[in-house]
Amino acid sequence: MAAASVYSGAGFDFTNEVRNTFLTDRGIPLPKATSTGTTIVGCLFKDGIILGADTRATEGPIVADKNCEKIHYITDNIRCCGAGTAADTEFTTALISSNMELHALSTGRKPRVVTAMTMLKQMLFRYQGHIGAALVLGGVDTTGPQLFTIHPHGSTDKLPYVTMGSGSLAAMAIFEAKWRPNMERAEALDLVCAAISAGIFNDLGSGSNVDACVITASHTEMLRNFVKPNERAVKERSYQFRRGTTEYKKEEIRSLVVEEDVTYISAARGAEGEAMDTS
Amino acid sequence: MPDGSFAHPQQRQFNPYTDNGGTILAIAGADFTVIAGDTRQSEGYSIQTRYAPKVFRLTDRAVLAVNGFAADGNMFVKKVKQRLEWYRHAHAKDMPLRAIARLIQTMLYAQRFFPYYVYNILGGIEEDGTGAVYSFDPVGSYEREACRAAGAAQSLVQPFLDNQIYFKNQKAAAGQTHPTHLPLSDVLSIVIDSFTSATERHIEVGDGLEIFVVVTKGHSPQGLESIRNVQEVTTRADTDRMFVIRRELKKD
Amino acid sequence: METIDISRLKSGEVNLGTSIMAVQFKNGVVVGADSRTTTGSYIANRVTDKLTHVHDRIYCCRSGSAADTQAIADLVHYHLQLHTQMSGSPPPVHTAATIFQKFCYDNKDALSAGIIVAGWDKEVGPSVYNIPLGGGLFKQPWAIGGSGSTYVYGYCDATYKEGWDRDQTVEFVKNTLALAMSRDGSSGGVIRMCVITEDGVERLFVPGDQLPKFWQGKEVLGSDTKSADLASAVAMAVDA
Repeated sequence: MAAASVYSGAGFDFTNEVRNTFLTDRGIPLPKATSTGTTIVGCLFKDGIILGADTRATEGPIVADKNCEKIHYITDNIRCCGAGTAADTEFTTALISSNMELHALSTGRKPRVVTAMTMLKQMLFRYQGHIGAALVLGGVDTTGPQLFTIHPHGSTDKLPYVTMGSGSLAAMAIFEAKWRPNMERAEALDLVCAAISAGIFNDLGSGSNVDACVITASHTEMLRNFVKPNERAVKERSYQFRRGTTEYKKEEIRSLVVEEDVTYISAARGAEGEAMDTS
Repeated sequence: MPDGSFAHPQQRQFNPYTDNGGTILAIAGADFTVIAGDTRQSEGYSIQTRYAPKVFRLTDRAVLAVNGFAADGNMFVKKVKQRLEWYRHAHAKDMPLRAIARLIQTMLYAQRFFPYYVYNILGGIEEDGTGAVYSFDPVGSYEREACRAAGAAQSLVQPFLDNQIYFKNQKAAAGQTHPTHLPLSDVLSIVIDSFTSATERHIEVGDGLEIFVVVTKGHSPQGLESIRNVQEVTTRADTDRMFVIRRELKKD
Repeated sequence: METIDISRLKSGEVNLGTSIMAVQFKNGVVVGADSRTTTGSYIANRVTDKLTHVHDRIYCCRSGSAADTQAIADLVHYHLQLHTQMSGSPPPVHTAATIFQKFCYDNKDALSAGIIVAGWDKEVGPSVYNIPLGGGLFKQPWAIGGSGSTYVYGYCDATYKEGWDRDQTVEFVKNTLALAMSRDGSSGGVIRMCVITEDGVERLFVPGDQLPKFWQGKEVLGSDTKSADLASAVAMAVDA
């Protein structure tokens, strides 16, 4: 009999499925995944695409991460914003990023946004919505600037301005009021900031800082923490504890120094031994 | 599976309650009490208003903080105030704090099988001049304590208060003991830090902070002079003094 | 009686609560659709293109789940490309419709897709095929589909005539969709149409503010002059 393999096959591991179903039936729910109750947006402007995201990650009503990154790297000229289950957006974009690199290597061509979009929609459709990734995919390729949204069930939309996540309604309100075709870089960046800010301040699932990413035909610029409108207030008191504050029941000090008796044998080469030639 | 088909039996129920988030807290000192609450009112992921008071003045020496389902909270405060006015008309004086606490218990338990969906914290000055905090569950179980947090961020704030007010898990320095009551300035700092910290980590806490301070008649409100935005709301001379402090909290 | 409910959507799924249509005429077909996609009550896309190219002279109109219908259309597009390479000639509309039907029927438990396939081929000329929810296949001179279609069956039955020309057919599709969109909350936006003939595919577009208008209740609500009187009316005095 072959020994149990230390390798597992490609894809997801379902070994705990039966146990977890049993547990769920007994009323023990699965642990909550960190979700990025999020505001993510993207919009077209004169020279390319601008993507935007807030930086709050939540677990229910608790803020799990105050400054997480939701704009993921796909290729040099393509980026992807993720909303939904944090782990799903992270791994899905990483996998597609990897496959895009391999694809570019094997075809010898610059990667296209539609390629990434097709890979993502086919993967998400295969998993029938169980991978909870809601994505905004944007980039500039040989066919020009491209912007897509991809829903968890695998449907896609191609639009000049898009929003997703729990703050998508607040952000879309800004876009519907102010977006125009062929905007300049500065005004488009301001608009993306305003859309994300609408999410940050009006949607409880979104918060903290604004991340942005400007993609043009020649250059991609990641503007991490582009605006920080939510710095923590200075605390009124210092909470430094006096040394010895924590009580303990037992104290035991062990020496970690290993002592060794070294006996030099002087028989063959003399007591000092032979000096090593270090020249 | 409410899919619009009649293949499976379906059950629907009207739910009259919602959770409107927010957090309240109260700390009693030797001759004062601090009662505070944030001012955000939310439902789900939406903010209904950034200023909805949760802390209410009942008498010259009693303040009630209400948290949970806002509609029930407002109605409950209204009815408590009405009962206190009737008491004034009947007895020509304000109801003492311990009596208000017992009144609230009775009023809550009267709704035992259709409860007010609220957590109450009553703070103020007792007849003997000491600071007091009473905390209630939605159906009227209550207790006098030195400090209490309730609401959305209770699980974040109460352990902090246990550590800083009751000195839980803190060993006193050799030959010394922990104080039983903290001075007003320390208490105010702890209250403000509780709310700024809860705002950082709880999505339903934020926007504004409203702090009521009640100080025993004849005692000096030492510790208030260094605080910004203090407003005195004492109505008569020769009574306990009451102050309100308003602060901004983060709005994300 | 136990019934299988195949009209369900998975929770949070993007829905093409739609009005779609295809009508044959002498030289070709006209396909048309509204442009609304929704997630619950939110309009996720107000300018959607539900007229999907599957081959040079064959289009489909999609209704139901956006994800399901896009996946099927992509798959059929692939099969038709393969078919063209293998046989060396463009596929008949019937072939395309049959491939659609196979996917819809075989996976009926997992899909919510109502599709109309229409196009032109050299064998039979213009043709329209309807593939409703369970995966049936029906050849029809005209077909309507999606949630909005239920409002306009009567209109279509009463209005449709054989032997129309291109312009009459376009007008019929435009009017039918406008009526469906005005009654169905899940349909709306703009009207997109394609005229498919031997010569090519022509795209037509009707903006949301230029839709044909029908009875809008003026007789009931009163004319503009009357509503002006209402605006100048003084609120009833109430004692303080």
